[in-house]
Amino acid sequence: MHQGLKISGRRFGPALGLLAVAALLHGASVASAQDAVLKSQAERVAVVAKVKPTVVAVFAAGGGGGGTGVLISDEGYALTNFHVVQPAGPTMKCGLADGVLYDAVLVAQDKVGDVALIKLLAPKPGFKFPFAPMANSELVREGDWSLAMGNPFLLATDFTPTVTFGLISGVHRYQYPAGAILEYTDCIQIDTSINPGNSGGPLYNMKGEIIGINGRGSFDKRGRVNSGVGYAISINQIKNFLGHLMAGIETDHASLGALVATQTEDIGLGRIIVTSILENSDVARRGLDLDDQMVSFAGRPIGSVNQYKNVLGIFPRGWRVPMEFRHEGSRKEILVRLMGAIPKEIAGGPAPKKGGPKPGIPGKKGPSGPGAKFYDPKPGFTNHYFNRVEKDRLMSAFKKHGDFSGLTGDWSMEGSIRLKKLTSESPLKINLSNEGEGLASISVGGIPYTLRPFKDTGEASRRAPEESGGLLAALWTYKGLLTLGEKAFTSDEFHHGGFEPFYPPPAEGKEPAKKADWRYPGDTEVINAKMGNYFVKYFFSRADQKLLGFEMRVGDENSDPCEVFFSDYRNVDGRQLPHRMQVTYANGHYGTLLIDRYQMKAVK
Amino acid sequence: MTHSGFVGGRRLALAFVALLGFSGLASAQDSLTPVAEQVNKKMVKLFGAGGFKGLVSYGTGFLVSPKGYILTVNNHILTTTDLRVHLYDGRFYHAKVLFREPELDIALCKIESDVDLLPYFDIEVEAKRARAEPGDWVLAASNCFQIATRDEPMSFQKGVIAALTELRGRRGVFDAPYIGEVYFIDIVANNPGAAGGVITNRKGELLGILGRELKNTLTDTWINYAVPIHAKVEIMQDEKKVSVDIAKFVREGMAGTYREGKRIKTIVDRGGYHGIVLVHNAVSATPAFIEEVHSGSPAAKAGLVPDDLIVYVDGELVPTINVFREILRQVGPGMEVRLEVQRGNRLHTIRLKLEEQPKKLSK
Repeated sequence: MHQGLKISGRRFGPALGLLAVAALLHGASVASAQDAVLKSQAERVAVVAKVKPTVVAVFAAGGGGGGTGVLISDEGYALTNFHVVQPAGPTMKCGLADGVLYDAVLVAQDKVGDVALIKLLAPKPGFKFPFAPMANSELVREGDWSLAMGNPFLLATDFTPTVTFGLISGVHRYQYPAGAILEYTDCIQIDTSINPGNSGGPLYNMKGEIIGINGRGSFDKRGRVNSGVGYAISINQIKNFLGHLMAGIETDHASLGALVATQTEDIGLGRIIVTSILENSDVARRGLDLDDQMVSFAGRPIGSVNQYKNVLGIFPRGWRVPMEFRHEGSRKEILVRLMGAIPKEIAGGPAPKKGGPKPGIPGKKGPSGPGAKFYDPKPGFTNHYFNRVEKDRLMSAFKKHGDFSGLTGDWSMEGSIRLKKLTSESPLKINLSNEGEGLASISVGGIPYTLRPFKDTGEASRRAPEESGGLLAALWTYKGLLTLGEKAFTSDEFHHGGFEPFYPPPAEGKEPAKKADWRYPGDTEVINAKMGNYFVKYFFSRADQKLLGFEMRVGDENSDPCEVFFSDYRNVDGRQLPHRMQVTYANGHYGTLLIDRYQMKAVK
Repeated sequence: MTHSGFVGGRRLALAFVALLGFSGLASAQDSLTPVAEQVNKKMVKLFGAGGFKGLVSYGTGFLVSPKGYILTVNNHILTTTDLRVHLYDGRFYHAKVLFREPELDIALCKIESDVDLLPYFDIEVEAKRARAEPGDWVLAASNCFQIATRDEPMSFQKGVIAALTELRGRRGVFDAPYIGEVYFIDIVANNPGAAGGVITNRKGELLGILGRELKNTLTDTWINYAVPIHAKVEIMQDEKKVSVDIAKFVREGMAGTYREGKRIKTIVDRGGYHGIVLVHNAVSATPAFIEEVHSGSPAAKAGLVPDDLIVYVDGELVPTINVFREILRQVGPGMEVRLEVQRGNRLHTIRLKLEEQPKKLSK
């Protein structure tokens, strides 16, 4: 690259010669060409100037390595690489182009994706950090231009970032992991020069929007300096994890619960075939079988194993994605819940002694400095302090749709139910009473079911009514959420769970569209909670924190939940309540509840 | 680096001016995506022998006919009976090697299935195009590091032609698989698996074939080069020197009539007689001081005397005795070399015509 610099002066020779010829031929047009060049140059300089303040020089507390980051919010949240914060520990120092050194704390890390979120601490209340917007990196193509900014070789002692300019060499690239972590899926390949110290820094498009986080390169024999082949984690992948990261979660990527391979004996186009499948996986319960051909995954056609790994790698564990496959000649589409990628013993237990970078709580260093009071590690969380922040924000916004805190007495709902197996509607009555330690009952077309949520241990009661997966228990937890909030649930089992897609089924009678079209626009943020033996996930609209629905599973992680989808919200005594609930379980629709009347009492 | 980007951006637009004559002036930061897509369709990923001793088992090639003829570098991955090809659209085929030309370091392969209508580079047209000049913008495309398989696109890099000049290899010092005219480029392009890839201009027109990984062992630097599409070498066919260029190789190769020639032997260890005795080669970097000159020898006739320091041979720096011997081993009887020698404080130019080795010395 330095050779390029040396000869750069000479490049003008022939160019100017050509220009002179062109000038003779085209006369006045030369001026406009020069104008265009100058304009484009001025635009680039302006973009660099605009984004420069958003680039963060990350230093491990007490020295010893560092890297780069980029600010994504005015509160001081910044993205960087996991491999940058890992040696730094939970607190660090961050320099901005204004020459000021800020204290920062680790918020969350994504070890598989090599991403970490840190938060710079505002020097005074009301301080706003500069930040860069995030682009839609799906629109990035090979041949586009890009800017990388950062702190290569930790050159900048005044924190002024180095800028490099180059080409997008390829998109949707797959780079193998080191053990179970540091897997670069669906990443962006660049010839834009990146070197040690650039790690964690932003890759911008020519509008100054973040399209990726620079993290690694192909070096081979060339030593760990720019080999013309660098990789950035796509910002769209990071957006999928951003809710988890903001909530301090120690994130995990996804696995399908099935293995696939390319059928290579044939020439022509490859077919991706299921070669093994976990019996207790969601994908097996949804109907995927051995030797089925995978057609598309999460909306992308699958023609190679790399393509499949690419698209699988961009999702967090627990997300649902649509998938198409061919089974014995017929094409099927399902929504599949993704399993985790990191083996349990790595995710939860002590770090393994041999091989690869050590997972677990980063670094050996403890927290120090002003960031220490914002650091609270907990199993499953990098920093639980930020989970409380996110949970409190969500619950307080949710409360604006109705304050039920005084209504902890008996509840009843009346209306009708349209069961899938029947064409007509039947009368419906639900009681959620405090009698004993709690008594729930539902009458569906005159057939009664009851449940003592904390006493009954029989599977039939817990999953009543039959074929609903546990609608009665589900409604019991719903009342708890509305009236008592976090206090209704098992202690320390009520957490923000990040962002997730949500797929309300189309209303009955409507032609079922592609599953991807079901996805709720703008997605949801979720709360994961546990009440006794009931595991619940509540889905709130990210736009206004309205509760869109929830799912509740009885016990075993490997069983299907009862899913409840809310609509027809109406005002009841100044509180918003859903008057239509679609209930599904396993592969089928259970029924639609149409509530005419809610009755909610306070405790005497 | 900002400076480099600055210069680059300017240059890019100027090149555009020269090519299109203002007919469609666009921003200097226009995306190269359409060009990359068009080039990518003509490229293939190759998989063959290798996978050991730092030799990769993957490589790059490009189509030179709609019927699946592929041009690539003549390297180790072709030494297999199971050469596999992935096309731009993900199709997978087997291929076989038809012809090789070691002097151009290229090979012609053919997809073994019936294919047609594939996008390709028409070598006859490409080879006639004007040469690129130093400073011209180029795009490199290859499957370096085996980043892509199936329908995943090639890796694209941008840069400029640094020089169009001779690549001069020398055994032991600077082994080169190809000796002749090359484009040196400022792109770190000659990575594992990149050989057989292409460099093109901003319109996606073929300029050259990316060469192999090449390191100068003297300076410990990696070199990035491409064999120009107009490259021409001389080979021996039927005891006659014949000139071969890439277009001819492809044309005759596709017709099935190409005859792989014999390499014109470089004379190694059979250099002519000069009659110079150098000082004792005590250390690895002993300078080429003359100790003695055989009387009546070519050296004596040329006027060389003891204590002369040989500095250049044919314009090439001679830092050590070893380098001098290396060069002279390749100069046969009857050939003349030009020496630059330092005598006292002055440089003298001396022409030395080598003769047959005296009988008693040659064995």
